[in-house]
Amino acid sequence: MSLALGVLPWLVSAWLFAVGLYGIVRSRHYVHLIACLAVCQSATYVLLLSIGFRWHAGPPIFYDHPPGSAAVDPVMQALVLTDIVVGAAVSALLLAIALQVHKRRGSVDPQSLRPLRPNR
Amino acid sequence: MSAATSLPLAGLLPLVVLLPLGIAAALLAVSHWLPARFIELSALATSLSVAAACARLAQAGLTGPIVQWMGGWAPAASGRSGVVLGVSFAADPTSAALAAFAALLFALAFVFAWGEFDDTHGHFHVLMLLFLAALAGFCLTQDLFNLFVWFELMSVAAFALTAYPLGKSSLEGALNFTITNALGSFLMLAGIGLLYARTGTLDMATMGRMVMHLSGDPVVAAGFCMIAAALLTKGAIVPFHLWLSDAHTVAPAAVSVTFSGAMVSVALFGLAKLLAKVFLGNAQLAHLSQEFLAPLGIATAILGALMTWAQRHLKRLLAFSTISHMGVVVLAIATLRPAGLAGLLVYIIGHGLVKGALFMLAGMLLALRASGDEIILYRRGRGLGMAAPAMLLAALLFCNVPWGLLHRGEDLIAAADADATTRLVLSLATALTGAAILRAALRIFFGCSGVPGVERAAPSEPEHEKAQRPLWVMQLSCWILLGLAVLPGGSLVAFARAAAQQLLPGTLSAAALSGESSSIAALLFVVAVLAAALLRVRPVRPLMRAVARGEGRLFGALQGLHSGLVGDYVVWMLLGLAALIVCAQLLG
Repeated sequence: MSLALGVLPWLVSAWLFAVGLYGIVRSRHYVHLIACLAVCQSATYVLLLSIGFRWHAGPPIFYDHPPGSAAVDPVMQALVLTDIVVGAAVSALLLAIALQVHKRRGSVDPQSLRPLRPNR
Repeated sequence: MSAATSLPLAGLLPLVVLLPLGIAAALLAVSHWLPARFIELSALATSLSVAAACARLAQAGLTGPIVQWMGGWAPAASGRSGVVLGVSFAADPTSAALAAFAALLFALAFVFAWGEFDDTHGHFHVLMLLFLAALAGFCLTQDLFNLFVWFELMSVAAFALTAYPLGKSSLEGALNFTITNALGSFLMLAGIGLLYARTGTLDMATMGRMVMHLSGDPVVAAGFCMIAAALLTKGAIVPFHLWLSDAHTVAPAAVSVTFSGAMVSVALFGLAKLLAKVFLGNAQLAHLSQEFLAPLGIATAILGALMTWAQRHLKRLLAFSTISHMGVVVLAIATLRPAGLAGLLVYIIGHGLVKGALFMLAGMLLALRASGDEIILYRRGRGLGMAAPAMLLAALLFCNVPWGLLHRGEDLIAAADADATTRLVLSLATALTGAAILRAALRIFFGCSGVPGVERAAPSEPEHEKAQRPLWVMQLSCWILLGLAVLPGGSLVAFARAAAQQLLPGTLSAAALSGESSSIAALLFVVAVLAAALLRVRPVRPLMRAVARGEGRLFGALQGLHSGLVGDYVVWMLLGLAALIVCAQLLG
């Protein structure tokens, strides 16, 4: 039981990463693709939080219980927070670029756009 | 060195990151009221100060690394032995020298772009300073998560700089760049998490001591593979390299100077440093890096060179030549010897100088002749003063002519990896990139051209940059780079050898092999290839037509791999990561 629960977050994380990647590869719309990228990123959140997690431990805030009592690993939570901030910046930048692409090319289909077209 | 002099030097460490960040923030706040010249001057002064500070740190670091624990959180402050709570910066001489070189390259890129970005309220300069701060932090940090933060900051600044011209192509190139590299950084973060799960620390030195005893551990191996995949993506190594040719082609020339000269090679240096500081003690991972990286480097060098030859758009041509040269850098890493690391430092500096000058030349043509296509530019390079000799000189330096830093670096790498066949293949591959640049130079400036061959079908697009800029300033920055590149570099080689031994203790081979035979072979090869290209006539006889068709098919297939579709790029990255993980488990 506890083994299954221990493996579960790893499986969830691998699954999220895989479906996110599938979405990126098959995407026909940049906004959809950016959402898929966010799904991939959530895989790293799940992975990191599960690494820092401990059973029967509280949050790493020692305001109302004594220092030294069991707590989950605050380092991993700090990593996830930083990652969320970075992810927000990257998503915002990508969405802004996608908007500009739409203005200039009139399309947001990754399969019909490419930076330089071959000469035929 | 006495404590009295080393203390203020340690104080310089956070400053090399804080100064560009602070100036960037200040410029952003008040740039609307500042004259463009003032913004340019302050960006230039900032990058020059960072270069000077890093050079001072590199020189002082030869007697022992200079370490600064942020906020005084030294390992002793945690009160428990073996627990490291703080984050430290350390200037070992190799890292500091690379940071200094990157800052110098940024300064010259600012000079080159003088007057190009007058009407952007300093946003270009702010982004570049942000980028510089991230590069310096990436070189100096000793904490794995901090490394990731600088890596991300570097990426975000680079994404924005690529999309900067807001043209059609630059936006799509930036999207490809952002998506592939964002995936790379997710992999890096996941890998860092896995390593932390096993070792319980993020400090490189402490983690290195723990990882040593975890040989054969699948979690550590997977963590390493993910971090390596992220750095190989940034470093544009086959099969993770596909984004680079799009991003470098569409970014403004001044930005491409820093991308090719500093960002890509610093990422690979990050891999070398992580190997030396963390993973080499682990027998499985050391074996994996040796077995996996060397063939990858050779494949990258050859594929990059073939693709370089088949390009007509100058910036795209230079982008592929960067890929080819990064293959050599990876080969230097795979030696896992101090001589290889010394060669890596000299090679990265030599390559960055020459490649920077070449991107500046491409920028001059884009600004003053309004095209970057060597076929369209045929005979239109006249009247650009010293640009023609500069391009010839830069191309010759790539053709393995025995002068300058690039050649010294290649000699050092060859001395560390004594395999003669590898060396010949590599020098031929990089010589092919030199031949492609020579072909472009002869077409543009001297009007020598045969009927265009495989390069005719390569992608190209009309593009130009702001023209009202002083030509002499652009030429000055270009010639400063070339002047540094042809220095004999004896003192730099001595410095690199001493520096590499600090990063990776071991014995250095006594003398570098003399590379004359492969140098001559490479030159003959260049002459043959160039003659074939410049004397080419329209194929009429059946035999010649069959040859031309075969050639067209081969290069057409290679061009097809670099499709510009981000889905394809992601699939190739995944295949590379899977191969890396499978190899790790097989060798475990």
